[in-house]
Amino acid sequence: MLRTTASEEHLETELLGLDFVQLLTPDGTRVTNPRFDPLVADIGPDELKALYEEMIVVRRIDTEATALQRQGQLGLWPPLLGQEAAQIGSARALRRDDFVFTSYRENAVAYCRGASLTQLMPVWRGTALSGWNPYDIGMATPAVIIGAQTLHATGYALGCAMDGVDSVAVAYFGDGATSQGDVNEAMVFAASFDAPVIFFCQNNQWAISEPVGLQAQRPIAERAPGFGIPSMRVDGNDVLAVMAATRVALERARSGGGPTFIEAVTYRMGPHTTSDDPSRYVDPEVQAEWAGKDPIARVEALLGSLGAMTDDFRAAVQEKADAAAAELRAGCLGLPEPEPLTVFDNVYATPNSGVERQRSQYAAYLATFGVAE
Amino acid sequence: MSAAMTTETRATETPGSQTLTLSKAINSGLRRALEDDPKVVLLGEDIGTLGGVFRVTDGLQRDFGDRRVMDTPLAESGIIGTAVGLAMRGYRPVCEIQFDGFIYPGFNQIVAQVAKLHYRTQGAVKMPITIRVPFGGGIGAVEHHSESPEAYFAHTAGLRVVSCSNPQDAHTMIRQAIACDDPVLFFEPKRRYWTKGEVSTELGPDTLPMEKARVVRQGTDVTLVCYGPLVITAMDAALAAEAEGVSIEVIDLRSLSPIDFETVEASVRKTGRLVITHEAAQFGGIGAEIAASITERCFEYLQAAPARVTGFDVPYPAAKLEEHFLPNLDRLLDAVDRVMLKRNSLTGWGE
Amino acid sequence: MAVRDFALPDLGEGLTESELVSWRVAIGDAVELNQIIAEVETAKALVELPSPFAGTIAQLYAEPGSTVQVGSRIAAFEVADDAASTPPETPAEGATTEGSTAAIEREPVLVGYGPPVEGGARPTRKPRVFEGGSSAEPAPVAAPASAAAPAAAAQRVEASPRSNPRSTPPVRKLARDLGIELTSLVGTGADGLITRDDVERAAAQATDARAATPSEHARETRTPIRGVRKHTAAAMVSSAFTAPHVSEFLTIDVTPTMELIEKLKRSREFSGLRVNLLTVVAKALCIAVGRTPSVNSRWDDAAQEIVEYGYVNLGIAAATPRGLVVPNVKDADRMTLAQLAAALSELVETARAGKASPADLGGGTISITNIGVFGIDAGTPILNPGEAMILAMGAVRRMPWEFRDEIALRQVMTLSVSFDHRLVDGEQGSRFLADVGAILSDPGMLLTMV
Repeated sequence: MLRTTASEEHLETELLGLDFVQLLTPDGTRVTNPRFDPLVADIGPDELKALYEEMIVVRRIDTEATALQRQGQLGLWPPLLGQEAAQIGSARALRRDDFVFTSYRENAVAYCRGASLTQLMPVWRGTALSGWNPYDIGMATPAVIIGAQTLHATGYALGCAMDGVDSVAVAYFGDGATSQGDVNEAMVFAASFDAPVIFFCQNNQWAISEPVGLQAQRPIAERAPGFGIPSMRVDGNDVLAVMAATRVALERARSGGGPTFIEAVTYRMGPHTTSDDPSRYVDPEVQAEWAGKDPIARVEALLGSLGAMTDDFRAAVQEKADAAAAELRAGCLGLPEPEPLTVFDNVYATPNSGVERQRSQYAAYLATFGVAE
Repeated sequence: MSAAMTTETRATETPGSQTLTLSKAINSGLRRALEDDPKVVLLGEDIGTLGGVFRVTDGLQRDFGDRRVMDTPLAESGIIGTAVGLAMRGYRPVCEIQFDGFIYPGFNQIVAQVAKLHYRTQGAVKMPITIRVPFGGGIGAVEHHSESPEAYFAHTAGLRVVSCSNPQDAHTMIRQAIACDDPVLFFEPKRRYWTKGEVSTELGPDTLPMEKARVVRQGTDVTLVCYGPLVITAMDAALAAEAEGVSIEVIDLRSLSPIDFETVEASVRKTGRLVITHEAAQFGGIGAEIAASITERCFEYLQAAPARVTGFDVPYPAAKLEEHFLPNLDRLLDAVDRVMLKRNSLTGWGE
Repeated sequence: MAVRDFALPDLGEGLTESELVSWRVAIGDAVELNQIIAEVETAKALVELPSPFAGTIAQLYAEPGSTVQVGSRIAAFEVADDAASTPPETPAEGATTEGSTAAIEREPVLVGYGPPVEGGARPTRKPRVFEGGSSAEPAPVAAPASAAAPAAAAQRVEASPRSNPRSTPPVRKLARDLGIELTSLVGTGADGLITRDDVERAAAQATDARAATPSEHARETRTPIRGVRKHTAAAMVSSAFTAPHVSEFLTIDVTPTMELIEKLKRSREFSGLRVNLLTVVAKALCIAVGRTPSVNSRWDDAAQEIVEYGYVNLGIAAATPRGLVVPNVKDADRMTLAQLAAALSELVETARAGKASPADLGGGTISITNIGVFGIDAGTPILNPGEAMILAMGAVRRMPWEFRDEIALRQVMTLSVSFDHRLVDGEQGSRFLADVGAILSDPGMLLTMV
């Protein structure tokens, strides 16, 4: 149990204070935070190096995927550049039996949950509508409909509570999603049913070209208490703060405390997707300012101050990153083209006369061209 | 009432037949489903303490508790989306949408998520969700309480759509729908909630599968296809026609997706004449699908073009006008005359 | 070393072209995987293109400032043979064949409606194997016999040609307009479909009438052909000219049967019932059918099968105010003599009153016609369409006949049968007639037959 001796009520009040939680400054200084330090007391230099390496690898994967799109191998890719800490810090706090419901940008979360690099590719290459079996890694197929997944997470969490287990559901979504009715309905349901769900909002400041100021007139984290859900506002580029906050929320959920809201303040350093042109709406000065708050740079600085950034370590991390990029590329290019008649597979779990008839007729049509199935 | 008596009233029903209203027949089916499978949970507005605005869930929360029969906040998308999550966790949710016209806030979750998750995940995730919807008009209601939205869902791949017309089917089919591993939109004809009928609560190998239509009246001259609230109207029309020497075969479609074309085809090959009726608007309705498909499949047997007797392509009107919207016996027989090539309201209308 | 082309990809979800702004490399340059080689401008953004290969630039196909179509090659690379590289280009959808002829423009309907025709040549369809378009053996239709196929087969089998013959709506209308009954036609189309030609041919035959002079016209009476007579005529024509009819005759001494009938009339079991010669003939027929089942069958041309009935629906030809009809008693073979008596008298009464229902009139398997009531001895009856055998009862006459080695006046009648020689051969038809005759001439013979 990570809970301190503080009473539940006291905890609520502190959380509702909505202080900006930060344990690691952009220049790499580890600042003390009595409330949250205990939650990451287990993250020593070795653990920090592992987090650093993981963020580097994930960034490299993201870059390689962007290149693959530019080379016509992927139809689309939504970069997560700049959001590595928000995704990895939170995902690494989870247990195997927790379940994650994300939007389409959380490829680093997928990586942490155990999706293989090849499994990250099919959706964006267009060979399939999902890359993995959700039950294999405890992660739903990323949602394309904005905000829909928050309700799914709430329902799943409710099911866990009804099953009497202390697994937790985590819903990842962005700042734009908080305007969607489903996200607000999810908070109503989660609060009413005390669902063990974490609402993890990555406020990366943009919804395509719409700035967060169009979605929210007050900090996003302030909404949740209005629903009866305690809230935290954390530096999303601080992997330690993110991990600490997530652990607080997990503990609450596991011990019957119900839902928690976390706003991880970060920045989308890349375009919305490879189809986007941010130069049309992003202020280069703001972009430069955020470049100075890079999540990986600050960890590197901290590791440097601990004497851990040796040449050997750097080389090992680079090698890992290159290997991941090569594996991603090979996995992408190696994806088999789906067979035509698989269009008709899995529409239903039970036999369906309508689908079967269409399948047969289409097969007959293909046969007129001498195409074997 | 003593505790002992309370236990008695909670006991499973006696086997064999009993006379029940359609509403009670569904209640009985829901009760059996809750008893048979601990993973079945009910969600909906006012279904718990109140027992539902039509009393279809009456007594169920009392007997099964508020974690199996859940009163939800007033949010249809929330109800359906939460059900998706519960289904992913292994539950078998049964959602109630309080009235047909309120389903639209939940449309996104139904069409984009419930319908597609099995396909999206290549079969890894199942959506055994049942969505119960009282539908149809003829109750003199205000706006949004008399809709027939079944076509939107029949048009959506991945969903199954059914509509019961009588108490026995209501009981049998709600149990089948809940047991089905696919999502089912279960349309309940609200103006028929109070019709009574014999209901046997035994399901067996001879029970008609949910996807099959039923010939409820044999005939030789015209095939009349209907479902939900209009089955009774169609039967009345057949009786009236009999006195005129016209023999109508009435088919209760029961399943709107998939449609049991085999049964309809066999009938049309015999009669050569097809009339389809539904309350929903004509354009793009279930009748349009059946007319097109049967014309493709039975062209060489058709004596006349299929006729559709439906609601008009207008929003559902005010209560005082609904008799001029809803199909009725006379409109059905006018269409029967048309396919019999007898004089009818459109005679001389031209092409 | 191998040379690989790099084609311009769709960089933004449905783009069709991009402008090549600048090259960042030159021919002969060595490039690494993902090294930026060009800058292009799409409708949405300015985009840098990373190299898909590690190798050497062999060729640059596009000029800076030019517009390149998605799918067109822009650069060639010399790569190591086993380099992880882009798979060979697949041709763009709907690409035309090499050597297109004159440029063909799609007619612009509205401004901006549709992209220009790719490559400037006429769009063509993919060649199908039944046109000899593929050198490969046409693959067998991979689909299993779906619900479609057996349903289609069932379709052809189930539809009884009598109740709803297959045609098409326009042909049905034509038939209606010309006064042709489809049930009287045999279709020459696929699987017996009744075609427009069939209807027109039937109409031509029907109107092949002698042209009469005006004075002759005045002495003629014309009655429109419609109703029961029309149906009956059509049915007879259909029957007579489809089934090869063979007729046989048997004259027998039915005195014992007539005596039996008198005895039955006086018996308690038959009090109130009309028991007569028809009753006994009907019974005898049912027994005889049991011994020669082929006379109780149907030729199903559409399915190319002979259908042998497991029951006897016995038709009785009846003269009614509306004309000749043949209502039938269902399951006559399962009835006792008393039941048969009741059923037959009810049937005939109902028919004479014009109240026979469609159910009564349909589904017959074998028929009896009583020409004896008209005082006639014998005839060559026409089969009720769809049946294999018809039995005509002649009048019972007192005639000199051989009886116990002497000539005596006996009650004698002739039985006439016609049968469909496709279904019943001579031996069978004869045996059937002989059996009926044997029972009627000596009812005790029944004991040897059941």
